[in-house]
Amino acid sequence: MTAVLQVEDVVQEYPGVRALKGVSLDIHAGQVLGLVGENGAGKSTLIRVLGGIEQPVRGSVTLKGVPQRFRSSADSQAAGISVVSQEFRQVPQLSVADNIFLGHELTTGGVVQRGRTRTRSTELLEQLGMDLEADRPVSSLTVGDRQMVEIARALSRTFDVLIMDEPTAALNGAEITRLHAIVRRLAQQGKAIVYVSHHLEEIFAICDDVAVLRDGELVARQPTSELDEPRLVEHMLGRKPTTYEHVSTGEGEATDVRLAVRELQVPGVAEPFSLDVRRGEVLGLAGLVGSGRTELTRALFGDLVGLGGVVEVDGKAVRLRSSREAVRHGIFMLSEDRKSEGILPHLDVTENAMVSRDRRSLPWSRRVLPLRRDESAEFARLRDEMRIRVPHGRQLIGNLSGGNQQKVLLGRALLSGCSVLLLNEPTRGVDVGAKVDIYQLVKQLADRGVAVVVSSSDAPELAAIADRCVVYFAGRQVAELRGRDVTEENIVGASVGQTAQEGSHD
Amino acid sequence: MTETVTTLTAEELVAAERDRSAERARRADQRRRLLQNSGVLVPFLIVLVVGVAVVPNFVSSSNVTNMLVNAAILAIVGYGMTLVIAVRGIDLSVGSAQALAACVAASVVNSAGPFVGALVGILVGAGLGAVNGLLVTQARVPGFIATLSTMSVFRGLVLLFTGGAPIMIASAGFKDVATSSLLGVPTPFVIAVLAGGGMWFALERMRFGKHVVAVGGSPEAAVDTGIGVNRVLLRAYLIAGASAGVGGVLLASQLGVVNGSISTGLELQAIAIVVLGGTSMAGGRGNIVGTFVAALLLAMINSGLNLLNVPSFYQYVALGLLLIFALSIDGAQRAAVRRMLEGRHS
Repeated sequence: MTAVLQVEDVVQEYPGVRALKGVSLDIHAGQVLGLVGENGAGKSTLIRVLGGIEQPVRGSVTLKGVPQRFRSSADSQAAGISVVSQEFRQVPQLSVADNIFLGHELTTGGVVQRGRTRTRSTELLEQLGMDLEADRPVSSLTVGDRQMVEIARALSRTFDVLIMDEPTAALNGAEITRLHAIVRRLAQQGKAIVYVSHHLEEIFAICDDVAVLRDGELVARQPTSELDEPRLVEHMLGRKPTTYEHVSTGEGEATDVRLAVRELQVPGVAEPFSLDVRRGEVLGLAGLVGSGRTELTRALFGDLVGLGGVVEVDGKAVRLRSSREAVRHGIFMLSEDRKSEGILPHLDVTENAMVSRDRRSLPWSRRVLPLRRDESAEFARLRDEMRIRVPHGRQLIGNLSGGNQQKVLLGRALLSGCSVLLLNEPTRGVDVGAKVDIYQLVKQLADRGVAVVVSSSDAPELAAIADRCVVYFAGRQVAELRGRDVTEENIVGASVGQTAQEGSHD
Repeated sequence: MTETVTTLTAEELVAAERDRSAERARRADQRRRLLQNSGVLVPFLIVLVVGVAVVPNFVSSSNVTNMLVNAAILAIVGYGMTLVIAVRGIDLSVGSAQALAACVAASVVNSAGPFVGALVGILVGAGLGAVNGLLVTQARVPGFIATLSTMSVFRGLVLLFTGGAPIMIASAGFKDVATSSLLGVPTPFVIAVLAGGGMWFALERMRFGKHVVAVGGSPEAAVDTGIGVNRVLLRAYLIAGASAGVGGVLLASQLGVVNGSISTGLELQAIAIVVLGGTSMAGGRGNIVGTFVAALLLAMINSGLNLLNVPSFYQYVALGLLLIFALSIDGAQRAAVRRMLEGRHS
């Protein structure tokens, strides 16, 4: 059997980074190939190369025996590759049907056949088990529905190879099952499918083979049947996974409440939020995309203005109409988008760490004219304490790795003297080693009395650091897990609404 | 504290969220439409009523014809601008392009007859639009800067072409086009309605229109779905140039005498009617009908101020204020929609 798609020695470079270091891969008709690897391992880059969005520096892509040079996504699609991309590439102003057929409209002489477009779209969506009106603007859909539209769009083209980049990230249990059935059926029809997922159980459920990428290299390619989960994780990490030993204090009850949220109504989320976070406690917020937890953290930081309800910090009701007010009241947030909402890339690490420093304890002269010497000393202290790997305080923060950047930002939070710290996806784009460091730092911050709220889509992460975990689904709290019950299984289960009924004991 | 336990299943939660989101979208859409339409219709009706009631000779047949012809020329240029703004671009050179097209057309009419002259004028406009499009797509100059520069270049060219002297058009047949009428409606107005219908069809019903919305609404999506973004941009600028050319030919016919300094400041009027008509400066959907109504509105304002013997200086002030009003509506509208949809993309 010859391969439908052959990738040979593909190299891709970005300024300063070698994202793919010569990857070779082939896939046969009727095969479902799982593609796994950590964030930054090169999965997305490979997909962008196959999709024609990026042109590799070196290497070749052969489709059905014909060498291909994709100059645009149109080339790749014409050759027979269809991609379900991770970010939704949809035009909000267009209808569901128009989005599905965007780029390959059904037309006669340039005029769109509206009837056929609509019926074909409805058919495709029905195949996916959706009864969506094809005329609705895509901007009005829920995230899960938009994901389905994205999949319908990929299926609407004629293709030999289907690449699915985390297609289930925003889907619930029933939808995932349905999608898996579709993937299997497509494979039976002789399509080749590349399936990317972070959920390893998915890989084991539907993939025939697994390819593991690590640091831009293909480190393993094996039939799924020869692997088990720990072995696969070992391949991904390149070593046995280190675990962060979580010591749940459990006696958080005795201490005082630092952050109290009562019936906070957040725009776009159906139900008001209520929660308490105690001194020294790490509270996890879990839930799928669209669950409302991101809106909650943004509202607590004054980034979204709440429509009603009370937020109290240390027993005092505060008004949060802007981030500035939030910081003044002792709430600090590290955004999930570190690059554009966290670091100040053109400043050095010292300046980055000092920018939100609480200056109230400093003399007047120092507030107006900060002394470089003072700040350098302060930063040196911070660097040792937080194990930031940086040669000197003058280093531009943009040149650091994600993990070290995050440590600097945690230092910034520390110096702001905040009493409540909101962390959004604190280890996104951070390598495994630094992850453990960051967990320890979060714990340290909590031990100093800060109330920490961690919102994360990474269930193992929450299981590792949270003392207590609240799970949201479509804007509703569906579970609250505490102590020993904060496990990956419980979080994932509750996130998709499956074990919401079970609850847990105290 | 006890556990929060709910008996709702995942499917029910999803269904509830889906209903809410559909409802939210419907309301946002309603509000957007209301703002979009009232932004142009309310001023239109006010000006119409005030004009009829207060301005002497406002509804005299010669003034109505005059207003319709002016509105027609403005609307045709506005269609092209609508397209360019819908793809997140802007064309500041329409005034200069129109002047150059009008002067070349006038001179060719004198040497080769009205048909050839009109055709050449439109082609000149299209050519100038293509230059803008190439600058934007090939030389990668931002549309604002590219057309700001060509605004100056084209103006220089038309002044060089005319040598500063006016060109009198000899052909009576050519001059009659602007003043003739079909079934009692001035010919330029008929042309504007037909051209508007064609543009509306192209934007709403044709593949090109979908691509325009994609390029303006979400450029990344357009690239990823394999749309030739550059081709769409080039066509948009070319059509904007061509419509300036059509406007120029009609203007030459209306005036009978053209010189190198006609149509200065046209870009501001064109942008004003496009935005007032409900096309967002942030790109996306173009609103051709809105542009057409806004062109009528601006023609009424200009004519009313003229009839009231308001010095032309005040007309500049009025135009500027109108543009600011239109843009603030645009901003308010986007803010309203954002508020309605806020929080969906977590």
